[in-house]
Amino acid sequence: MTIRGFIILLVLITNLHAYQLEDKLKVAIIGKIAKFVQWNKPATQNFSIIVLNTKNQFFKTLLEGKRVNSKPIKVIYINNINNLKDSDILYISQSSSQNLQSIFKAIKNKNILTISDIRGFAQKGGMIQLYTKNQKLKLRINVNSVKAENLKIKSSLLRISTLVKETK
Amino acid sequence: MKMSTYKTVIIISLLFSNILNADDILNEDSLENLLNEKIELKSQIGSRDRAKNYLDSSSPVDVITASQIESSGQTQLTDVLKYFVSGFNATTSSLTDAKDHIVSFTLRGMSSDQILVLVNGKRVHTSAIFIENTGAISSGTTHVDLNTIPVISIEKIEILRDGAAAQYGSDAISGVISITLKGQNGTNEITTHAGVRKEGDGSHYQLNSFVSIPLNYDGFFNISLSGDKQYQTQRAGVDKRVDPAEVHTHIGLPDSQNLALVLNSEVVLENNIVLYMDSILNKRDTQASAFYRTPSDSRVQYPDGFLPMMESQILDYSGTLGMKGSFIHNWKWSLSNTYGYNSFDYNSKDTMNYDLDPNSPTSFHLGKLIFIQNSTNFDLKKKLDNFTIAGGIEYRYENYQIKSGDPASYFESGAQGYAGYTPEQEVDTSRNSYALYVDTSYKSSQNLTAQVALRAEEYSDFGSTQNIKLSLGYKILPKLLLRTTISTGFRAPSLAQSSFSHTSSVLTDGVLLDKGIFTVDNPVSQSLGAKALKPELSKHLTVGGVYQFTNKSSLMIDTFYVLVDDKILISDKLAPTTQEQIDIFNEYDVSTASYLTNAVNTQTFGIDIKFNNNYTFKGGSTLNSTLWYNYSKNEIVDFNEPLSAGRVLIIEKGQPEHSIKFSNNYKRGKFNYLLNLNGYSGFYQSIGDTPYKFGAIATVDLNINYKINKAFDISVGGDNIFDAMPDKWDKSNVYLGYDGIIPYPSNSPVGPNGAYYYLNAKWKF
Repeated sequence: MTIRGFIILLVLITNLHAYQLEDKLKVAIIGKIAKFVQWNKPATQNFSIIVLNTKNQFFKTLLEGKRVNSKPIKVIYINNINNLKDSDILYISQSSSQNLQSIFKAIKNKNILTISDIRGFAQKGGMIQLYTKNQKLKLRINVNSVKAENLKIKSSLLRISTLVKETK
Repeated sequence: MKMSTYKTVIIISLLFSNILNADDILNEDSLENLLNEKIELKSQIGSRDRAKNYLDSSSPVDVITASQIESSGQTQLTDVLKYFVSGFNATTSSLTDAKDHIVSFTLRGMSSDQILVLVNGKRVHTSAIFIENTGAISSGTTHVDLNTIPVISIEKIEILRDGAAAQYGSDAISGVISITLKGQNGTNEITTHAGVRKEGDGSHYQLNSFVSIPLNYDGFFNISLSGDKQYQTQRAGVDKRVDPAEVHTHIGLPDSQNLALVLNSEVVLENNIVLYMDSILNKRDTQASAFYRTPSDSRVQYPDGFLPMMESQILDYSGTLGMKGSFIHNWKWSLSNTYGYNSFDYNSKDTMNYDLDPNSPTSFHLGKLIFIQNSTNFDLKKKLDNFTIAGGIEYRYENYQIKSGDPASYFESGAQGYAGYTPEQEVDTSRNSYALYVDTSYKSSQNLTAQVALRAEEYSDFGSTQNIKLSLGYKILPKLLLRTTISTGFRAPSLAQSSFSHTSSVLTDGVLLDKGIFTVDNPVSQSLGAKALKPELSKHLTVGGVYQFTNKSSLMIDTFYVLVDDKILISDKLAPTTQEQIDIFNEYDVSTASYLTNAVNTQTFGIDIKFNNNYTFKGGSTLNSTLWYNYSKNEIVDFNEPLSAGRVLIIEKGQPEHSIKFSNNYKRGKFNYLLNLNGYSGFYQSIGDTPYKFGAIATVDLNINYKINKAFDISVGGDNIFDAMPDKWDKSNVYLGYDGIIPYPSNSPVGPNGAYYYLNAKWKF
């Protein structure tokens, strides 16, 4: 193969629509979801995303400083839900799956959007669940949980999500 | 600067800008587009850590997805693996007794029983069939019957091309095939398949369904059903023993009917404990034949000749019941029990026992082989910052049984085709084993991964074994992973290898001779110097790397070396030489005898080079190409027992050393095209100790799929569409010869059945 041929091959190879790292794509999707949600709380300087019990650095590298509703995103990592003061979004990692109900109790009536990839999250009272189907990420939304926290989700997001009810 | 240099600079600039702006592109994309992005392909095999990108594994791993299986049009699991995996060989054969009823397979040129198979992470039991035929690649083994698992139930197949006995226990020497059944979020579907060989025979029909019932908290209950009917192909040559010479014996695919039911379920409780179960039930009936028996005036029954038909009923089922959850501090636990059962019920018809002429029955029950395996596991796992520590205990029980046939089936010379098992050959033997294993992995922030696995095991029949595996992966560049593993392993002698015995009459150069396989403790074997079987012990070294040009384009190169001590084989057919041996042979009424023995030490080395590239054209059409070359060389390095030149040839040169696959999947609009090119180098088979070479062969497979709408799609396709056939024997002979009854070699990777054309249809609901 000539050098020119090799360069063309390299360009062909790299000019691709790449597979995404799952952890990275989840964060990008969470960043997008924020644009489809309306909060009902006093204006703050930053749009805050609290990340519970994971060190997923893509929240920092991908979202920190980007803007939602004209406000810069601030990402805060915490390991204990009792350290949470206020937030717009709370991302709950899988390692918190045992403590979901105590987390929900701790943030009740704080107008916080909860997002997680914990199995059965939406049916257990969470708001937006990320899950995998055919190597793609999908969304499940528990509309009742969203309404209970006085949040509003645009119909365009509901249309591309699966809606579920909480199982008592 | 010349024009061409400018072009090069521009191209390279574009190239790097493309890579550097990947995060920005992700941020700018719409939510809908992000939800359409494919995420990395993950694998779990080879590590008890959480599933990770298979290209980041420190051992060579390949993944075949349900959508790839579907695109291939393949309907049997061995065909799927053969379609996608270079270095995976699967053969069907005729006139090889019980082996006619099971598809044997090998990976990287090693033995069929040196591959561990897992379903949903649990060990799969082997078939009860013991391969007696010493001319077969899988001779002397019992191995898993892969085709009991219907492909419609499969979500993913992972292939670990590395030794892993230190992680999974016995058998994981040439590799591990791990099958994940479809779980949550599966799509309900019904599929049909109908095909026929170019010769007009070998029709195959299959009907499958998959239904998933969602349960609370993302639990599921899945049911897969599969039924198929395979009609025989006929590739035998004329029988010149009779006048006029005509085709009498059957060679080719046997008639078979198969019915399979797979259940897979997970029930998620509110407290996050998951109850899980899976079950695979398979019932297969197969009809093959033995050699045609020529006319004889000395017989009252069948004086005009007869073709003994060999019929089997195979029943295979397995089931896992378990639960998993988390303790405090996120210790994950899992408790499970897996039961597996396989029985081979062997019958013959249209045959007779010469010694009962003229009152011989014409159909016989020849006996039944049964294998049972039960494994109980308790596993623990904890992630601590950069470390993952996992471990567990396993208790396994195995049982092997041989049940005798009708008295008429084993009386004197026995039923023609295959003599029934005698009451003396009946066996009901068991053993158990305990294992303790630890698997730790470390991932540094500097892209270093290290893994140590230790496993200690105690078998009730041959004692204890301890094995270790060390793995190291280091990304010296963000896109370049270098990896190596070093490990020890073992394979416990199967209960069948320890306890199988059978005597029969074999047609050798036109003369019927009584031969037998005896257990090592039988006086016949003892007179020949047989010793108790020891486990096969192995040492492994794998060195390689992965270069990811992008997340959609990668090059894997892995070299491997495996040393196996005390490989278990059937000994040569030995005739008595001393008076004591002659007396014992006469007592057991055999002229030659074989026994299972730790016959040889082998070494296997080679390389896998795999290049994968996904390309998206403007307009959205995609081309996914994989080019995979495998070189596997098998050698005997030491003989513990003498072995004939013909047997050595099968081990060392009986399979192609070079194989290559070039698979191209092009998707455009409603069409999906799959073009697969397969190449195999030549291989050898022998007649007696005389080697015969069979040349290289290449085949082309094509599948064209059209999506009618969201619910329906149809495919038309063909395997080996240009009808490539293996070379015939380079010899004129009544039996094995280009002009004989068996014109084609039985161990060809392509087989003598020729082109196959089919139609598939699918309804999603």
